Amino acid sequence: MEPVSRLQKVLEAGHFAVTSEVGPPKGTDPGVVTRKGIRLKDYCDAINVTDNQTAIVRLSSLAGCAVLRQVGVETVMQIVCRDRNRIAIQSDVLGAIALGIRNFLCLSGDHQKFGNHPTAKNVFDLDSVQLIAALKKMRDEKKFICGEDISGEVPIYIGAAENPYADPFEFRAVRLAKKVKAGAQFIQTQAIYDIAKFARFMEMVRERGLDKEAHILAGIIPIRSAGMARYMQTSVPGVHVPQEIVDRMKAATTAKEEGIKIALEAIEQVRQIPGVRGIHIMAVGWEEEAVPALVEKAGLYPRPG
Amino acid sequence: MIKARQKPMKDIARMVAPFSRILVLGCNTCTGICLAGGEKEVAILASTLRMQKKELGEFVVKRQCEKEFVEEARDLIQSHDVVLSLACGVGMNFVSEMFPEKPVLPGNDTMFLGLPKELGVFAERCVACGDCIIHLTGGLCPIARCAKHLFNGPCGGSSQGRCEISPDVPCIWQLIYERLARLGQLASLEELIPVRDWKSNDALGPRSFVREDLQVKET
Amino acid sequence: MMNPMVQPPCQNACPIHQDARGYLAAIATGDFNRAAQIVLETNPLPFICATICSHPCEEKCRRGQPDKPLSIRAVKRVAMEQGTPAPVPAPTPSHSEKVAVIGSGPAGLTAGHDLARLGYRVTIFEREAMPGGAMAHFVPIYRLPREMVAKDIEAIQALGVDIRTKKALGRDMTLAQLKRRGFKAVLLSLGLPLSRKLRIPGEEGEGVLLALPFLRAVNLEGYRLPPGKRVIVIGGGNVAIDAARTALRAGAKTVLMVCLESAQEIPASPWEIAEAREEGIEISCSWGPKQIVRHDGKVAVMECMAVKSVFDEKGRFNPSFHEDRCTQMEGDIIILAIGQAADIAELPELGIPLDERGRLGFDPQTMATGKQGVFACGEVILGPGSAVRAMASGRRAALAVDAYLRSEKFTFQEPSALGTLAPEVVEDIKRIERQPVPLLEAAQRVTSFEEVDLGYDPQVGAREARRCLNCGNGAELLEEKCIACLTCVRVCPYGVPVVRAAGKVDIRVDQCQACGICVSECPAGAISFRMPGVLDIPQRIGAAMASGKRELVFFCAYDTISLQGADTSGMIPVPCLGKIDVRHLLRAVELGAERVVLVGCADPDCPYQRTLRWAQCRVDTANRLLQAAGLGEGRVKLLQLAPQEFARLPELLSASAKEAR
Repeated sequence: MEPVSRLQKVLEAGHFAVTSEVGPPKGTDPGVVTRKGIRLKDYCDAINVTDNQTAIVRLSSLAGCAVLRQVGVETVMQIVCRDRNRIAIQSDVLGAIALGIRNFLCLSGDHQKFGNHPTAKNVFDLDSVQLIAALKKMRDEKKFICGEDISGEVPIYIGAAENPYADPFEFRAVRLAKKVKAGAQFIQTQAIYDIAKFARFMEMVRERGLDKEAHILAGIIPIRSAGMARYMQTSVPGVHVPQEIVDRMKAATTAKEEGIKIALEAIEQVRQIPGVRGIHIMAVGWEEEAVPALVEKAGLYPRPG
Repeated sequence: MIKARQKPMKDIARMVAPFSRILVLGCNTCTGICLAGGEKEVAILASTLRMQKKELGEFVVKRQCEKEFVEEARDLIQSHDVVLSLACGVGMNFVSEMFPEKPVLPGNDTMFLGLPKELGVFAERCVACGDCIIHLTGGLCPIARCAKHLFNGPCGGSSQGRCEISPDVPCIWQLIYERLARLGQLASLEELIPVRDWKSNDALGPRSFVREDLQVKET
Repeated sequence: MMNPMVQPPCQNACPIHQDARGYLAAIATGDFNRAAQIVLETNPLPFICATICSHPCEEKCRRGQPDKPLSIRAVKRVAMEQGTPAPVPAPTPSHSEKVAVIGSGPAGLTAGHDLARLGYRVTIFEREAMPGGAMAHFVPIYRLPREMVAKDIEAIQALGVDIRTKKALGRDMTLAQLKRRGFKAVLLSLGLPLSRKLRIPGEEGEGVLLALPFLRAVNLEGYRLPPGKRVIVIGGGNVAIDAARTALRAGAKTVLMVCLESAQEIPASPWEIAEAREEGIEISCSWGPKQIVRHDGKVAVMECMAVKSVFDEKGRFNPSFHEDRCTQMEGDIIILAIGQAADIAELPELGIPLDERGRLGFDPQTMATGKQGVFACGEVILGPGSAVRAMASGRRAALAVDAYLRSEKFTFQEPSALGTLAPEVVEDIKRIERQPVPLLEAAQRVTSFEEVDLGYDPQVGAREARRCLNCGNGAELLEEKCIACLTCVRVCPYGVPVVRAAGKVDIRVDQCQACGICVSECPAGAISFRMPGVLDIPQRIGAAMASGKRELVFFCAYDTISLQGADTSGMIPVPCLGKIDVRHLLRAVELGAERVVLVGCADPDCPYQRTLRWAQCRVDTANRLLQAAGLGEGRVKLLQLAPQEFARLPELLSASAKEAR
């Protein structure tokens, strides 16, 4: 099958891919998104727009991706299962394709308790694995979940997230297998700091041959301050920041420099691990500064055509 | 069973304020057993309301959700202005249906289907989804006990056996994993549990079902 | 429902089935009058029993399972000394028949008392100058002061029982004469007034005394031993101990007891043996007297053989000896206390037959002898035993005589006892040390006939009584109301309620420790309670509040004695605060109390587990409810006091009230 998106092309050609993400505003100004997109577009193969991340209401991923498309950016739309039922999700996917979006990342979504509307009812009509299977069915059979036909083309590249550090650890590779079997083609992981444990995870992944079936991009979060390190350690679900990293940030004279340094070390080390096919940079709060710096310093600039 | 808990006294006081002759009606099945609606709880609530100058009747029926048992309270219900029910929501609805001209006030909040882990500590175990899948999940229900009711969990927020929402909440998928491991059934976790048909839950509205084997055709 | 014929082990072990549980509860809550009342319901010789009873109740007391049995006898004595029971009017005779009782020992006195209560006119004929049988004549006065005997006998006489002394059957009257005088039944309670002889060489002559005449001489006639004598008492029973200890006080230089039985077999009561040893009496076991050697006619040496066994394979008394192993014991006076015998050789002349072994012919079912209208009871038919056992025999004979005179069939059913406590319950019972009964110092004892038993102070007695487990007097499940919520199973600190087949809950009445927690926590009102003073709490609240008081105080009845007379009028005593329920607290407020105070011990002093923690939980719950209802804060209070603070209760209460304001 021909690659349907630039990201798919880059990965299937064997390049070490770089993706990153922008968080949309808690408001209506698309300029926030497009400014970041323009700045980052030459440094990334695709840019994710998060979907009400941490259950905080923001400009939607669909709209964010759409405005980025308008300025020529390759996008990954994120879909969480928390807020929409199967009707809305399938509808949004149709709309996204119509707006030129090709890459879709399927997620469970952080529990609404963490967000700014903690008393809202959550949906979870589907879970992330079922969502992957649904997208595959839309693309490969051109059918909705209910079995009815979809008119028009459904060119989509399906992705999923994975947290190599979540428990039960020995089960994570099995879960990844489940997602790949359901149709996941690319994987973006949560932030990697503990290289050894990630290496063990990748070993389990390779044992199952999953690295052949899906492209795994290691998540990299450059930290810009000791406060951010501590916050991520204690308050962000799914993110595991070792104490050693927090200490380094605390001890550093220039926090941002140290943050970039730590991130570069991580990039270097994950590149050595067989099966890792790229990195996904989540430079929360300083995308425009950190992403170009990292990509350049890691020798990953320029990106392949 | 159904677990319920008495409403805060100030809420009850507000609800009963417009009424003078109140019947506190208890139930000796689910709410009796979870210590929210038996003779003792009825007596304590009645005592507290009498101190607030209300005229009170007290009675406990075996179950407030069955006509034959509620019948025993008919005279008392008729002779009071309002029924303050200490049953679960089912009983409260039923008494309202059986006595359409009597206001029924909820003395309890019906919390969930669950069990007592120890005296006075109750936990949810089932959400009555109508399509039980615990044979696939080692006997533990993810719909009731996963905060995101995932069918193919755990999510990435599961850490050290705890759910991301709180260290007090176990990650049920961790427990499912361990139990399936103990039962030698881990392979079933590799199978995708497909998208749920929520009609057995409330997708088609308020539920009911009929047992054909208990329907005798009258010729 | 528990069968009333199943008794707590103490009551069942008591031959006259005294309600020990009942009077212990009364004493523990400081109600000595009621305690004495309960004793008198079944015991016509309360002062005697309170002093010398061999207390078989204590042997079976289930308190012995976690720690030591209740000191029931000594506590009963506190009740008899402190309590004033309501006077019992003499019954008016409702039957025309008169009954003659021959012998005024414990069996005869009890039979006479019971027959009077049954409506008969009773005359007790006593051949001695003093009534009381062995208790008046043989029991040492350092064990049983004669005032005790007099009190009990006077009380029986006050019922209209006529006691005629110096009147012997045979010597002074015949059965025919009694019949002519209107005595339609005769009850022989002749006891065992004769000491047995050994019949060994050297026994005849001066220096060898028989125990019973010796004891009588010392007790009643002031007899004393010549000074400097070494006394040997032969025998291992309580009479031998009495003789030994009496000899010491009567001037013996040394006293040695010699008995056939081994130390494990010796039949005397363990406490008697202990007291004797403390007084310096040596006990030499497993020796059988062979002969008494005299020098110049005076007793010099007793030769003994080593005992091989006392009882044969069939358990019969049949001693065997190692004839080659002998010892010589030097002594000046030998007292034979080897057994007591009945004085019945002349009964056949009166028409009352003996059996082929010379024992009184007797039907244990009907209590009848071989002579129509003549019955027998007590030691004369049972053999040697305790006073209380003889009393039970007298009681049974009275019923037999009554059946006979009313031409009814005599049936008599003995009740049975609760079983033992389950190990899991025993584990949870709080251990509390038994109060030792104070005795006179051994050094002081041997020089006088002063009473050895000093008895408990009332406070100590009440504290000891509190150790009673209230066997069979606790919670009782009303099955038809039970909703199987398992709350009782979960709150019981002792694991008493268990779940049986088919989900039935069983609150084991025979295991319940009567803490009362489950009664209050049951949501369905399905648990009743047998101990008095619990189910009536709501009525007592109503009565107490009827006078319009603003503060209602509940206090733990077990602290009554610590109150030492502090004014508790208007307060409600309850047997442990664990029996106070949230409903009780709210009811008091409903009836107008501004303040409700629960006064009790600190946790370690309470004999129950967890009750005070539940009391605090209920106080907090009541306060929460009252506050949520807008009816004020902190209106209910739990006050836990040290024992010495109870005497200042009114002062502490007003301090607490002031603090609340």
